[in-house]
Amino acid sequence: MAYAANQSILFDNVSKFYGDVLGVNRISLAIGPGVTSLVGPNGSGKTTLMNLMTGLIWPTKGSVRVLGLTAQDPERFFRLVGYCTQFDSFARGVTGREFIYDSLRLHGLTHKEAADRTQESLERVNMTEAADRKVAAYSKGMRQRVRLAQSICHHPKVLVLDEPLNGLDPMARAESMALFSALGKDGMHVIISSHILHEVDRISDQVILLNSGYVVAEGQIQGVRDEVKEHPMQIMLRCSHPGLMAAKLFAQDHIMEAKLHDDGRGMLIRTRDAGRFYSQLHEIVLEGEIDLEAVAPADDDVNSVYQYLIGSEGATV
Amino acid sequence: MAVYKRTYKPYSGELTANWTRFTILPRYSLAKIFDSKILIGLLLVSLLPFLVAATIIYLTHNPIARTLIGMRGENILSIDNRFFFQLLKIQGSLAFLITAWIGPGLVSPDLTNNALPLYLCRPFSRVEYVLGKLSVLFFLLSLVTWVPDLFLYVLQGELEGNGWLMANLSIAYAIVAGSLLWITVQSLLALALSAWVKWRIAASGLMFAIFFVAAGFGETFNQVLRTYWGHTINLVYLINEVWADLFGVPTNVSFGRRGVGDPRTLSVPLGVAWAVLLSVCALCLLLLNRRLRAREVVR
Repeated sequence: MAYAANQSILFDNVSKFYGDVLGVNRISLAIGPGVTSLVGPNGSGKTTLMNLMTGLIWPTKGSVRVLGLTAQDPERFFRLVGYCTQFDSFARGVTGREFIYDSLRLHGLTHKEAADRTQESLERVNMTEAADRKVAAYSKGMRQRVRLAQSICHHPKVLVLDEPLNGLDPMARAESMALFSALGKDGMHVIISSHILHEVDRISDQVILLNSGYVVAEGQIQGVRDEVKEHPMQIMLRCSHPGLMAAKLFAQDHIMEAKLHDDGRGMLIRTRDAGRFYSQLHEIVLEGEIDLEAVAPADDDVNSVYQYLIGSEGATV
Repeated sequence: MAVYKRTYKPYSGELTANWTRFTILPRYSLAKIFDSKILIGLLLVSLLPFLVAATIIYLTHNPIARTLIGMRGENILSIDNRFFFQLLKIQGSLAFLITAWIGPGLVSPDLTNNALPLYLCRPFSRVEYVLGKLSVLFFLLSLVTWVPDLFLYVLQGELEGNGWLMANLSIAYAIVAGSLLWITVQSLLALALSAWVKWRIAASGLMFAIFFVAAGFGETFNQVLRTYWGHTINLVYLINEVWADLFGVPTNVSFGRRGVGDPRTLSVPLGVAWAVLLSVCALCLLLLNRRLRAREVVR
């Protein structure tokens, strides 16, 4: 998808080397508004990509522009970007409120503006009650939420979140994901790196799969899955006569395998051509011999694509 | 297709001046530091020379007070450039202890916790970060060096009268310039050690080693080779050389009891002393520049 330069994060043939260590190589990307997930194993270049788009490091080659700006214009650039690191970095004795307030003062906001926005961001992450307690007494999840609050407190248009769901309990995780989705729908560019693949799959508008410093695939996860030709698509069917259904399907050469479910009410199909499969299925259903209850892709989630493309299994915590 | 409302608006209101933002950093550093009873004790001890000097100045100008405490004679001490030079030497030593105590804890926690990306993803540069951390040491060390010394200078001038203040402006200059140089050298050294040595006790120990083990090594070098160039690695000696020049007192020939003509009684040239001290500062800045990055490369 093409985006206007001032509406997207543009990587133009970007390479970053740390001496002789490869960070990322020849990356060309355009990241638009919405939620984008960076997925890849350790050392794949996710954090390098995040550091590049937050202006913390400069590319060895190529250029990075965030909504038309570079970090050479720090005052405007950093006002657009919010970064939530995965690490604890709180001064001893500081309260949650003070931590956010100080980050706003570093952005140059006046005392009153900083105090108002601190309160607003605390409310947004449901941390108002604990705001005046020392961070040292917070649980891991509360610390994560305070970090998230400090990254959105100055109303950035680009929000970069490094492993934002780590340490959150299921309730806080669901709230955070709802918040990311809401921010994405507000027109913010939300970039998330995470190993919790099935969760980022649920909230992502697009994923970027990285491996060894290269972009392996990008786009909407179903689209990426379609491109993985060497791995047949798996589709789950629930129907009244699965044996008959299998027989009809095997009339076509794109069907490679059918596994009947133990309950006799469904099966798992492996096909080389999902398009042709769905057309054929449509015709079979119209014949009226078989009642179709459900059809669902079984391996077009991030986890499967991740395994197919990178060859390593992502965590599913 | 996702529909984006684009309701999110970044802040576009009034901003504070860029140069003031480094002052955010010392706030919590100082709060944390003043939690330490040891530091408060050190600060109080560091103020003792000031109190003693103030008493001496007062007694020098008040014969009645001298009589009341049983002191006879015209004067107990001459309040001049030598007086302030000796005072600064004592305060400089105490300032070193304060630096060795708090300096190593200033940067290493941020590196350990990977806090630098959080600082640097704002309109806040590495230079401002270093300035913010340096300001903690400058504030504390100023409290025990040039600030009380300037107060004493004014006190002496007021009590002496007869244009003493204006006639001895060079003392005020020596107090401020000498103190700031010493504060700069040891603060940068402390920050550089803090950035490279994560264990605070080890960093403090290393600081003592740089000042005192190097001095001992330099002195051994002088003894063995019958030279004075070993002093070039003795930072305390070098700063004394510079202070002596600033205050206009004889240079540091009293190190050791040696005969006239012994090369070890000769001073390191003043230019060399300045050059070594400034080189130490430059080296520390180089070390900080290498270490203070928003990312760490895992090889």
